[in-house]
Amino acid sequence: MTLISPTFTRTELTRVVRDPVGLFFTAVLPAFFYVIFGATQDYKDAAAGNGNVAMWIMISMAAYGAVTATTAVGGLAAVEKMQGWGRQLGLTPMRDATFVASKATVALLIAAIPIALIYAIGVLTGASGTTTAWLLSAIVVLAGAVVFALFGLAIGLAFRSESAVGAASGMLVVFAFLGNVFVPLSGTMLDIARFTPLYGYVSLARRPLTEGYVLTQDGSAPQLEPLWISVTNLGVWAAVFALLAVLLVRRGRGRQ
Amino acid sequence: MTRGADPAPALRLRGVSKSFARGRDRVHAVRDVDLEIGEGEVVAVLGPNGAGKTTTLDMVLGLTEPSSGEIEVFGLAPRRAVDAGRISAVLQTGGLLRDLTVEETVRVIASTFETSQPVAEVMERAGISSLARRKVSKCSGGEQQRLRFALALLPDPDLLVLDEPTAGMDVAARRDFWATMHAEAAQGRTVVFATHYLEEANTFAERIVLLSEGSVVADDTTEAIRARATGRVVAADVDPAHDEELRSLPGVHSVARQGRRVTVLAADSDALARSILLDLGGHDLEITTGSLDEAFIALTSPRDQSTTKSAQGDPR
Repeated sequence: MTLISPTFTRTELTRVVRDPVGLFFTAVLPAFFYVIFGATQDYKDAAAGNGNVAMWIMISMAAYGAVTATTAVGGLAAVEKMQGWGRQLGLTPMRDATFVASKATVALLIAAIPIALIYAIGVLTGASGTTTAWLLSAIVVLAGAVVFALFGLAIGLAFRSESAVGAASGMLVVFAFLGNVFVPLSGTMLDIARFTPLYGYVSLARRPLTEGYVLTQDGSAPQLEPLWISVTNLGVWAAVFALLAVLLVRRGRGRQ
Repeated sequence: MTRGADPAPALRLRGVSKSFARGRDRVHAVRDVDLEIGEGEVVAVLGPNGAGKTTTLDMVLGLTEPSSGEIEVFGLAPRRAVDAGRISAVLQTGGLLRDLTVEETVRVIASTFETSQPVAEVMERAGISSLARRKVSKCSGGEQQRLRFALALLPDPDLLVLDEPTAGMDVAARRDFWATMHAEAAQGRTVVFATHYLEEANTFAERIVLLSEGSVVADDTTEAIRARATGRVVAADVDPAHDEELRSLPGVHSVARQGRRVTVLAADSDALARSILLDLGGHDLEITTGSLDEAFIALTSPRDQSTTKSAQGDPR
């Protein structure tokens, strides 16, 4: 069979779409955040890099929605695989690689929902930026979100329960505050932010808009931040999540 | 449906062992099991909980690897037999996504096989056509088990493995399930099922493999198992002075006395009868076959537990 199974992927998508609570947290809530903290605020038209502040907040909230989606898909994949469904699939010719590839496809497609929704609202509510900024930021938001499927996977493997996966999505809120996603941080908080998991991802996603300048709230001139900080942050966290996932899979095998 | 003749047996296990670490200890779940099951046989793997039934079947299905030994399914490695759709199984627990409907579940699993039986037909045979649109979470235990059975039928397997298929079913559901299974077996499918219900092994299987503590302790036709182990009961009038001697005879499991009459449960009733009549001066000897339950307990109780031998003597 092919690497990505169409029926399997389609069914997985149906499951997500049928879960209104999950959709609310991945798509509706981040969109609502954008409207509240971006589209309806006075500062939304202030300039930010190649565009305005509304666009900055739009990218941030889309990124938050996208990682919520991929974390949930990754986490639930792990939980399902360890509960009986993994055994059931083990009785079919389906390979682990197909399972992973199909789930990754699902994660990307689900992550695209908040991005499309929030970008659409952005268009309607005056977010502005260059065409390149719109396109590139969307691509980075989508691609970078895959890293957090690994985060979900690791949590799912470690705690083996659906509620742990829910808690992982909840932790993303904390990471988002700490990672300079929701509100622009400055000073010590910004220094700390650079070490937290969402910082590299969201700053890379904003880069097509900001050209690397870090937006601050106190009116001081934006500082230019070198690209390697964002890239290193995302790379290190991706490696940490991947390593954790591999170790946890091995632990699971050893118990059999 | 005709099943072609195959030179290799449906299932062959040679020196199969499985051990794994649990904390600091090493658990030997399966110890040196040899087993051969021919095409078309219906075999029960019987044993108490923890006897190694599920571990053995997991290895047969390629879900886990044996620590040592070899397993062949129609001459193929288990994983290849699964890929080829020659073996499939109804698993004991889990195995289903609660938020899918019955039909979606069947379609997803069907899609993983290169060729599979038509979804509608499989659901009909498993008796779940009327449940097609129901969520798995809303199905009863028996209905979920029928769904698992439908999934197992998808590749049209030559060997069907059932791990405690009726656990958690009520009496009516259990009866229905076995009726369906009889229909499948009648078509020449090889069926291997694990159970700790004696009644199921007795009524459905032609052959019983008894597992205890990871080892095969008996492997024979259902009648022979019942007769052999067993649980023959030998009763005779014997002088009470000979009780100790009776207990020390090989294969004697228990000795009970009531007045002049002594009742002995033993594996080899012929040898016992000979001893009683020729050596111990017994008379009015009777031999009856014990129940399968007695055989089961006698065969699967831990080997070092010989205390039952002296437990029932009359203190007179």
